[in-house]
Amino acid sequence: MATPTASKTEDLLDPEFIVRLERLEMVSKKIFHGSMRGERRSRRRGESAEFADHRNYVVGDDLRFLDWNVYARLERLFIKLFLEEVDLHVNIMVDVSKSMAWGNPDKGRYARQIAAALSYVGLANNDRVSVYSFANGLVGELAGMRGKRLLPKLLDHLQTIECDGISDFHAACKQFSLRHSQPGILIVLSDFFDKGGFEPGLRLLLGRKSDVYCIQVLAPDELEPQLSGELRLTDVEDEDVAEVSMSRALINRYKQNLRAYCRGLQDYCTRRGMTYAMTCSDVPFDQVVLNVLRRRGLFK
Amino acid sequence: MNFLSGWMPIAVAAGITIPPLVLLYFLKLRRAPRTVSTTLLWKRAVEDLQVNAPFQRIRNNLLLWLQLLVLLLAAFALGKPIFEGSRQTEDTLVLLIDHSASMGVEEKDGRTRLDIAKEQAEAIIDSMPSGGKAMLIGFSDRATVASAFETDRSVLKDRLDSIPQTDAASTLTEGIALAEAYMQNLVIAGGESEPDITVESSATPARVVILTDGNIEDAETLTIKRLPTDDMQIVSIGERDDNVAILSMEAKRNYEYPQMLEVFSLVRNFGPNTIRCDANLYINDRHVDVQSMELKPGIEVSPSEDETEADSDESSQPKPATRKSNLVPLTGSTASVAFDPIEYEGGGVVEVRLTVDDAMSADNAAWTIVQPPRHVSVLEVGEGNLFLDRVLPTLPIQVKKMTPDEYERADETEIAEAGRLKFDLAIFDNHSTERLWPGSYIFFGGVPNIEGVSADRMVQGGIIFDWDESHPILRYVGIGRIMIHQWLNLTLPPQAEPLVEGEDAPVMALLSQDGMHFLISAFSLVAEDEITGQALLNSDWGFKPHFPVFLQNAIQYMTGSLSFKGVRNVRPGNPIEFAVPDNTEEINVRRPDGFVAKVQTGNFTTVNYAGTRKVGVYSAEPAVEGREQYAVNLFNGTESSVAPSKVLKLAGTNVQATASVEIVNKPFWPYLLLAILAVLLIEWAIYSKRIFV
Repeated sequence: MATPTASKTEDLLDPEFIVRLERLEMVSKKIFHGSMRGERRSRRRGESAEFADHRNYVVGDDLRFLDWNVYARLERLFIKLFLEEVDLHVNIMVDVSKSMAWGNPDKGRYARQIAAALSYVGLANNDRVSVYSFANGLVGELAGMRGKRLLPKLLDHLQTIECDGISDFHAACKQFSLRHSQPGILIVLSDFFDKGGFEPGLRLLLGRKSDVYCIQVLAPDELEPQLSGELRLTDVEDEDVAEVSMSRALINRYKQNLRAYCRGLQDYCTRRGMTYAMTCSDVPFDQVVLNVLRRRGLFK
Repeated sequence: MNFLSGWMPIAVAAGITIPPLVLLYFLKLRRAPRTVSTTLLWKRAVEDLQVNAPFQRIRNNLLLWLQLLVLLLAAFALGKPIFEGSRQTEDTLVLLIDHSASMGVEEKDGRTRLDIAKEQAEAIIDSMPSGGKAMLIGFSDRATVASAFETDRSVLKDRLDSIPQTDAASTLTEGIALAEAYMQNLVIAGGESEPDITVESSATPARVVILTDGNIEDAETLTIKRLPTDDMQIVSIGERDDNVAILSMEAKRNYEYPQMLEVFSLVRNFGPNTIRCDANLYINDRHVDVQSMELKPGIEVSPSEDETEADSDESSQPKPATRKSNLVPLTGSTASVAFDPIEYEGGGVVEVRLTVDDAMSADNAAWTIVQPPRHVSVLEVGEGNLFLDRVLPTLPIQVKKMTPDEYERADETEIAEAGRLKFDLAIFDNHSTERLWPGSYIFFGGVPNIEGVSADRMVQGGIIFDWDESHPILRYVGIGRIMIHQWLNLTLPPQAEPLVEGEDAPVMALLSQDGMHFLISAFSLVAEDEITGQALLNSDWGFKPHFPVFLQNAIQYMTGSLSFKGVRNVRPGNPIEFAVPDNTEEINVRRPDGFVAKVQTGNFTTVNYAGTRKVGVYSAEPAVEGREQYAVNLFNGTESSVAPSKVLKLAGTNVQATASVEIVNKPFWPYLLLAILAVLLIEWAIYSKRIFV
């Protein structure tokens, strides 16, 4: 069993890269409640070893948290407050619609590599990691993993996902929101090319008070189309057809529209406290994880 | 619609350019299939380009510049650009188009010279500047205005087509006169609003273009007054020079044996090659005889000196034929054909036809009309002339005598019949009269009192300068050896043919006028003494042995019973005078081409039919017996000499003829269209290269 696991690990994650990932730890900009005490500090004052503050004693407080030293000096009762350490829910949504299988290198594998890396960071820090795959809804789920021992299972799951179906981001987000009520970190890996628009889906994710990271994965051919002549373009998902006469003007217009689309996504995310990052599938994914997301504040 | 260059270039151009264009069109339509992650952004981009197209910033696009160039060229072409020649563009154009017999020569491409001349004329009309006007004159033996000054080109072309081919001779005097007359009217009409303009000071620029093969009879004697001769252009039409022609033909009955018919013909080769051909004799379309002959070249094929020098570097090129002389035939180029005498007592059509394939067919046949043999009736009017009285009875003729008084008092029915002279010939001796009917007359010492003929005084002791020995009347007659005491100083119309020339005026002449044919001798053999009134000898001619010969020649010639020249033979274009039978209102004239023309008689005794454009036999129905048929023959060496002249002596000036029309305003738009086509092809090529994978 060890060999195939190692093989799968190598497929998606490089062992050396895994070592580097172990040094990372996900941080949330908020203090989150967990269902059990974890290793993570939250802003909620609770029972942990790390002192946070004092407050006046009121009747009914646990006498165990009275600060007797202060009482000795001031003869007044104060309660010691400690930062409560909670566990973190790390949810990763990976787009597996048919359009993610497009590109060279294909975007689907690239997205799964990033998902694997981020999941491993969460597992390594004993966070509660859930990985969801979505196309026209949630099509795969591996929820509630904790601990590095579940890495092979995670990778096995990511390996077996096939990119198929039409993208319906709104439906996927709706299902996710109904099923997952815990706040935490939500990382969405997608090209966000949804003809229904990305806004309705993202709006649903905001309601969960999650720390949302939108990572847009594009292929090099999407950024710099290498097309010319009279073409009949077919949408890989819904087989919609567009007949175009390629010209420099048209390609420039396409690039303008792509930039505008990406900027629209970025603006939408920024205004609503989400974090946006865009990457191309020909950029080494470890750089994205180690540099780009680090700069965005996902890791410390 | 007409195309100057014909359909072939258009077909070739279309065949070369259209298939690639269609191919490119199909290539453009074939779209290569491609799969993309989403069509969302592409559709939006296409829509953006379409929506923003009218207002987008003009980009530096080669296709745009090419299309702009096409539009500019098309707009330029709409302005009807022309190549301006070295000469000033004339607003007024006079086109003189030769449609004489020689213009009917069929050239190597199957077109006649007249067809070629019309095409050249169309090209000139097409090159006229906007608002320019042209006049069309067709000329042969007479000139007709096909179109007065006209600005509408389609009208001009229609009128051009209406110029017919004739078998007539070619003269230019009348055409030039017509052009000058119209030019004068034009100037006066144009000058009405500007009284200062006079005919002499007219500076109306007019270009005169003569389209001819150069065989113009009166070119040298032409006088041109108002047309600008220095700017006159002559376009030489045609190239062929091979032609054999019948120049004359005569059918006469033997004097002693009138039942024997003798036919003579003169044939001449005008071409550069030796010709062997047969002359066939037909009587009433029945083949009677054939004579073979060999005719040596009629023109010398050798380069002229000027051309040798000019073309020294092109010595390998064949040299054009040059005519040494048109008037004097080269030795061996002519042949007199004398058919064996034929016993034929009937009347009808005698035809000589050459079996030869040459440039012109109108001169390969000749016709004449013969009558059954009969005795000639002669009316002798005079006081009595010893010599006439002695000679006339010896001739095989019937003579009736009258004194001048009897003649003047005689009832018309005694002298005339059906509006014509009852006798074959009337001989007047020392008598002038105005009682004349259509017929033949000989005057000795008197004149017919008709318009243009007069004798004002007597010439005594005059000298005979010249006489025409070759004329049938003076054949074997030694005029130079006779003595004449006095003769009348004759004044004759220009068309009179002098036979004997005196010091100031003709002494003997032939004249045909108003259906009457005269041989006028200014002297008689006897003259009345002014004092005694006795007959005195005026000339010793009566004692000479050749006087009977002269009288016989004259009677034969004038009666036409033996010689028909000038009586029943008509030149193309000249009118035929048909005698009208009694109580006839309409005469049907059948032309050689089979067309029957109806001629109203209008109660006249004779009618003229002028539609003799073609050679052949013209017959009338009904007609006076013996006057049913007339022959129209070319008999014109100038027309039969079909080799086109490269230099024309026009009004005393040598004018070099050009081979084709010099188009002053050459249209430029065809070149623009070619340029547009080329630019469009380049544009298509660039466009296809950009979009085709």
